[in-house]
Amino acid sequence: MRKITFKIQRFDGQESWIQEYTLDHQPGKTILWALIQIKETLDPSLNFTASCRHAICGACAVRVNGQATLACETPLDKMLKRWESDTLILEPLQNFKLIRDLVVDWEPKAERLAELKPWLMPKDEFNKESGCRQSPEDFKKINKNSDCILCGCCASECNKLSGNNSDFLEPFVFTKAQRFVADSRDKNPVERLSAAINHGAWKCQHCQECVTKCPKGLSPAEDISNLRQEAIAKGLVEHSGVRHAKAFLDDIQKTGRLNEGMMAVKTDGLVKSIGNIPFALRLMSKGKLNPAHMFPKPIKEVAEVRAIILAVKESEKARNIANAKRSEAHTNPDIQRPKEAAK
Amino acid sequence: MMKYAFFPGCVLEGASQEAYTATTKVAQALGIELVEIPGWTCCGGSHLQDYDKTAALAVNARNIALAEKMGLPVLTVCNTCTLMLREAKHELDNGAKELVNPALQQAGLEYTGTSPVTHFLWMLIKDYGLDKLKKKVKRPLKGMKVAGYYGCHILRPPHIMGFEDHANPHSLEDLIRALGAEPVLFDARLKCCGFHSVFTSKEDTMKATGTINLSALEGGADCTVTPCPLCQMQLDMYQPEGKRAVNANDDIPALHLTQLIGLALGYTAEELGMKRHIVNTGILLAGR
Amino acid sequence: MLKFDILVIGSGGSGMQAALVASSQQGLNVALMSKVFPTRSATCCAQGGTNAVLKNADPTDTIEKHTFDTVKGSDFLGDQDAIEFFCEHMPETIRELDYYGVPFSRLESGTIAQRPFGGQSAPRTCYSSDKVGSVILHTLYEQCLKNGVNVLVEWLLLDLVVENDRVTGVVAMDMKTGEIQPIMAKTVVLATGGAGRMYWLRTTNPFASTGDGMAAALRAGVALKDPEFVQFHPTGLAGTGILMSEACRGEGGYLLNNQGERFMKRYAPEKLELATRDLVSQAIEIEIKEGRGFGEGMQAYVQLDLRHLGREKILERLPQIRDLAITFEGIDPIDQPIPIRPSCHYSMGGIDVTDYRTCGTDLKGLYATGECACLSIHGANRLGGNSTADVVLFGKVAGKAAAEAAKTLDFGSEQKVNELVRQWENSFSSTVARTDGPSVASIRDRLSETMWYNVGVFRKESEMKKATQIIDELIAEYKKCVVGDPSKIYNTAFVQYTELGNLLLVAKAVVMGALNRKESRGSHKREDYMNRDDENFLKHTIISKQGSQYKLSYRPVVVTKYQPVERKY
Repeated sequence: MRKITFKIQRFDGQESWIQEYTLDHQPGKTILWALIQIKETLDPSLNFTASCRHAICGACAVRVNGQATLACETPLDKMLKRWESDTLILEPLQNFKLIRDLVVDWEPKAERLAELKPWLMPKDEFNKESGCRQSPEDFKKINKNSDCILCGCCASECNKLSGNNSDFLEPFVFTKAQRFVADSRDKNPVERLSAAINHGAWKCQHCQECVTKCPKGLSPAEDISNLRQEAIAKGLVEHSGVRHAKAFLDDIQKTGRLNEGMMAVKTDGLVKSIGNIPFALRLMSKGKLNPAHMFPKPIKEVAEVRAIILAVKESEKARNIANAKRSEAHTNPDIQRPKEAAK
Repeated sequence: MMKYAFFPGCVLEGASQEAYTATTKVAQALGIELVEIPGWTCCGGSHLQDYDKTAALAVNARNIALAEKMGLPVLTVCNTCTLMLREAKHELDNGAKELVNPALQQAGLEYTGTSPVTHFLWMLIKDYGLDKLKKKVKRPLKGMKVAGYYGCHILRPPHIMGFEDHANPHSLEDLIRALGAEPVLFDARLKCCGFHSVFTSKEDTMKATGTINLSALEGGADCTVTPCPLCQMQLDMYQPEGKRAVNANDDIPALHLTQLIGLALGYTAEELGMKRHIVNTGILLAGR
Repeated sequence: MLKFDILVIGSGGSGMQAALVASSQQGLNVALMSKVFPTRSATCCAQGGTNAVLKNADPTDTIEKHTFDTVKGSDFLGDQDAIEFFCEHMPETIRELDYYGVPFSRLESGTIAQRPFGGQSAPRTCYSSDKVGSVILHTLYEQCLKNGVNVLVEWLLLDLVVENDRVTGVVAMDMKTGEIQPIMAKTVVLATGGAGRMYWLRTTNPFASTGDGMAAALRAGVALKDPEFVQFHPTGLAGTGILMSEACRGEGGYLLNNQGERFMKRYAPEKLELATRDLVSQAIEIEIKEGRGFGEGMQAYVQLDLRHLGREKILERLPQIRDLAITFEGIDPIDQPIPIRPSCHYSMGGIDVTDYRTCGTDLKGLYATGECACLSIHGANRLGGNSTADVVLFGKVAGKAAAEAAKTLDFGSEQKVNELVRQWENSFSSTVARTDGPSVASIRDRLSETMWYNVGVFRKESEMKKATQIIDELIAEYKKCVVGDPSKIYNTAFVQYTELGNLLLVAKAVVMGALNRKESRGSHKREDYMNRDDENFLKHTIISKQGSQYKLSYRPVVVTKYQPVERKY
């Protein structure tokens, strides 16, 4: 009989240890099945949380060989194949306060979630009695991010959060914020945007772990990127992150290529950059920073590049205006809709 | 003869010119023709989209369209360039083509989707073949313990990259073995080096960098090797700050992927631009 | 000691609505207690939608039609005054949820989209793709965050405290510390959900649906109403019982037997697959019994075919359904039919609510709402889309009434609650110390097998008598059962032990009600009494517990406009 060994991180409130359990292999099972088998047949004192069994309640997220995943929907055989091994390591999510074994504490996360005011602030034209209006297109903008089930997989593997969680929030918090910023029924996106910026939206490391781990196929990193863009659009531009991102566009439009040499000055300003002189000298000594290349020559097609960017932006703008007009027609109750009236 | 539309990326023109040299030399030795895409522009470096997503789509659509005009697949040597180009391609293939093509046509270009975007590491494994590479090795890197550091954007997000399993990749280790060296599996091999937040979150970034180097050292590695020049920059140029952030003492050389291959193909350290590294690569090369 | 004016127990749609309404009143101290983090509650499992006459998709829809559909769906066991109240107040409740931020799917007009659902005469089921429960639950949680609702996260209800014929608080375990705590409350709202886990693996319910509130009510002397009415959802995945939403049929899915026949045409010639859940479940089980299913025994199934809907519609309207079928059955509904079989889905019965306008019970200060309660608006069979509707409306009703009542009440004595805490502490110590006896899982498995085989879709006297005897044996064995974990911190083994005790108490009431209802009505299908018997059984079962004895009585159904007629779909 093929045996599968699970090395599970245990914790009793004080001490932490690794405990090994062995089960007979059964095909077509899940990680949650294994946890339940262990609890029911080997060790009732092993603790984990699980409820719905089908990836909608978010209770059963654990780490399998260092990768956060929902135990209920993760096939055991797929994991054994992925790791080419009949031994798997199960651990609690990272970046959470641990309660016991695989059980983590969500209460502190709720407090952090509330920081970005993740609730609808309905526009003044709407009221409780008659509800809101929203076009199908605008619904589509919030539909996907409404899939977040607060399972914590994104937070567990977030490199920035692991480094320092005092000036950054869990990726799912930004996803929630973006869901409200994008909601056409909401009147106060700026409040969420400035909160997002103040809570580290520009500090994301772009490691893409959150996108990779989300069991619902959401993209918190992209949500952070969208929050950044929206914040800029709303005039929240006083940030080194904005200057850094803008430098890329400026350089592309000016020469087609990046001017690394001037990046620090453009991002941090001259005064702060002076603090980095020892670093600059270090690079110069190895020829990595060449003062002669501070002002590179543009590629010869740079005018063409500028024209293409402009043209794509124009046609996008035209498309957005058309969509907005449609959306307005849908949500303004004063405009007659012959199609519906005929029904 | 294998032929690619080469997209070097800005870093290879600037701080990491040694990677340009090494890439060219390795390609030459393996008989792979790299034709630099004329008039390519910066990919946006995983930052442009935060300021202007449409501009990021436009410039990369143009970059790929230029390669299509050459009738060649795009070859990159930087993780982030690969991600940016592939992300644009993904969008173009899923509806954005109609938005972009009228603009490209004004410049006599068109995106049709005929040029795939691949990375040098993937190309060696999938197109060239490690068995063939092994035969070209003149100086096996016997006894050299190499920590393969992937970096984020060659693995993640998997629906864009998808070359291999993001959680348990082995392309780098396979390559290291093919060169006669010994791959070191270390704890932080899939972690983020922090490059893209170096300006906005410097302390965390240095901690990330320091952790990776320390983890490679603790795994017993003689050096790290990475398929991304941005990661290499971070591991090498910021190594002193990284060490301070995690209270580490020892240095560890950080090589570009093409430098490691170049060594095995018989080039000297000097030919591969290793003098340009901040952390001395001399110890690594003693006796070779 | 923790003291609240209003304590709401259970953090699903109903509990959060109750807590939100109660805490919106000035000067009241409200707490919401839950054994799970709020967004894990069973409401998240609801997929298809929520019924309300908004007339968005069909301007000819009326409150009367919704009322009649619900009455007819209930097989005339629902109380018609409560149903009228329910249907009348649903539209405003949905609009309020829209205002709270629920991301509903939309029509071109910008109004909330509505789809057809089983047993309904108009498309009135408001939806959000195929995840309405999840988005309602998360939106209500957002409102709780916004309003600073005090939530006791991961606290397990152990018992209600009754003194001088009123509820005065509860005993609960703070799972994170393992401390057994007294909580004083002027009024208590039970919103603890259903008890589907008595069918263990043949249920769509989450692990948490263990009838905790129903059992606590029974122990506190409050009756259960109509417990024998257990809804079996026709389309649970064959292997796991996981729910494939009614939206699959609402969007046009077919049910096929092993001859490739759309067999529903023989059972409900007009409505076909969109007949009510009880009829469709019974039809599927007959097909299987008569050899027209696929597979054998517990593994038998029929097919749910969505292929003709086309890739685009499946991806747009039923994306989660597709994911679930791929993950749990290895089947992509775009290319292959899905193997399905009925799966225990919902408890129509529950804590006997005696006033639907307040959700009040016979015990002063105690209110019940959501699946744990029986008003009764679902009668013998609940319509799809009426459960999330029930929870969001009656949660508000209960919260408001509990708040009003709390204003007129004082706290009870601390002595009684402290006494009960000591009892539970002793019980905890002696229970976790036991090392010899049957395991929790072994008793639970025997309970669920007994329920599925003897008190399942089809029922008859001899089998139910056997079930009665087995459940009594299990209740006796339970007292000797081994928990296996003596520690206090987050002891899930003890939690599961407690939950099993609750399931056993409720299961006994289910069997008792079923055995004594000698007719077939709605979800209660007797092989030995195949027809509905309005003369003798147009009445609610009322079961209460005195000591270890269960007491059975009946109460007439409230009929206002609609005299019972035979149901045809």
